[in-house]
Amino acid sequence: MNRDNLIVVFQFFLLLFLQSFLLNNINFFGYINPNLYILFIIIYRLDGNSTILILLGFVLGLLLDLLTQGSGGHTIATLTIAFLRPFIVKFSFGVNYDLPMGMIKGSPFSQRLVYMLIIILIHHLVLYSVIYFSFTNTLTIIKNTIFSSLFTFVFVYISLGLFKDKND
Amino acid sequence: MRQLINALLRYRNTILYTGLFIVSIIFLNHRSFYHQSIFSKISLAISSNLNQFGRNTSNYIRLASTNEKLFIENAKLKVFELIHFDEKSIEKNVIETFKFQVFGARIIKNSYNRARNYLIIDKGNQDGIEVEMGVITSDGIMGIVNQVTANFSSVISILHLDLKINAGFKKNGAYGSLSWQGNHPKKMKLNDVSTLNSVEVGDTIVTGGMSDYFPRGIPIGKVIDFKKPELEGYYDIDIELFSNFTQKEFVYVLKNKKKEQLNRLKNEPR
Repeated sequence: MNRDNLIVVFQFFLLLFLQSFLLNNINFFGYINPNLYILFIIIYRLDGNSTILILLGFVLGLLLDLLTQGSGGHTIATLTIAFLRPFIVKFSFGVNYDLPMGMIKGSPFSQRLVYMLIIILIHHLVLYSVIYFSFTNTLTIIKNTIFSSLFTFVFVYISLGLFKDKND
Repeated sequence: MRQLINALLRYRNTILYTGLFIVSIIFLNHRSFYHQSIFSKISLAISSNLNQFGRNTSNYIRLASTNEKLFIENAKLKVFELIHFDEKSIEKNVIETFKFQVFGARIIKNSYNRARNYLIIDKGNQDGIEVEMGVITSDGIMGIVNQVTANFSSVISILHLDLKINAGFKKNGAYGSLSWQGNHPKKMKLNDVSTLNSVEVGDTIVTGGMSDYFPRGIPIGKVIDFKKPELEGYYDIDIELFSNFTQKEFVYVLKNKKKEQLNRLKNEPR
């Protein structure tokens, strides 16, 4: 249990610093950055304490906003997906999910794909909605959401592969 | 209490989320001027709508007393309006048969008890008054200017035995000449109205359009009696004047702007 907690803390800070110091400077096509840090929410244990996840998500987003001079979009977006994660898990893996070790092992590929995509899409939608925060920019919000989600998805998928290899 | 705690525990995620969401909104509000302005706009809209709603509600509650106040005020204004209307209605009914210019003047001498009455007004040729201008009051006609000095003018009153003025019926335009018989300052006679026209007691007499001095349609008086002589083709009509010449103070002098053209036509040899 302690080891798990340590891993969580390690993942937390690793993703936070990776995101703020490296990934936010990619600026693919000028404006697309992968938000890999939500990998933390994705790989958090499915049977873990959801209340703590909400707190951790909030702190993660807040620290990221503080580190990157963000306005607060990351805080709200991360908080929201941390809150919504149990519902998303139920939706994608079915009500009787029994995956104590996280989503990485032993679940169909399509379910994992749906799970990741929903989390990433919701996160980016909330993030860009908060950042632009006006109805006149709806098109920009949707465009940014789609492209950044795709980019993030690629990164998350690659990273999951890395973790998986390591765990095996 | 226990149930409350249980409920709190069951919904702890939602409560925590809501609380942290509010915190992050506040954070957002502090971090970004753009969001701050949007939030203040929203809050302004909300508060103004709420205030509007509250004001509407309280206005609705106060409707009865407001209504009463307005009613009292209305009554007051109605009195003013009636006074005003009495003064203005005459001028509005005037149909301009010619362009005229109006000078206001004050009567400084008035007579009404002689056979040939004159009055003197305090405007003369320095003020633009000329001979043969029409003089009217707020509720009727007064006379015609006959002499002008620098600062004063003498006016032949219509209460003058030798003056005849073109006048007619308001209802159908039948016209005759109005003259004073020399006995009562409110009674005049209208002669030369053809018996082809119907006349009734109470008909309004106005100035006719054939006068050089007065525009058509200034009310003069009303019919109080009429006779239809058997041998003549003209009525003999008694008129009571609207205006009381014994208590006038202000008059208006009318200048016919096109009078020279008219005179030229009239004086042309035929």
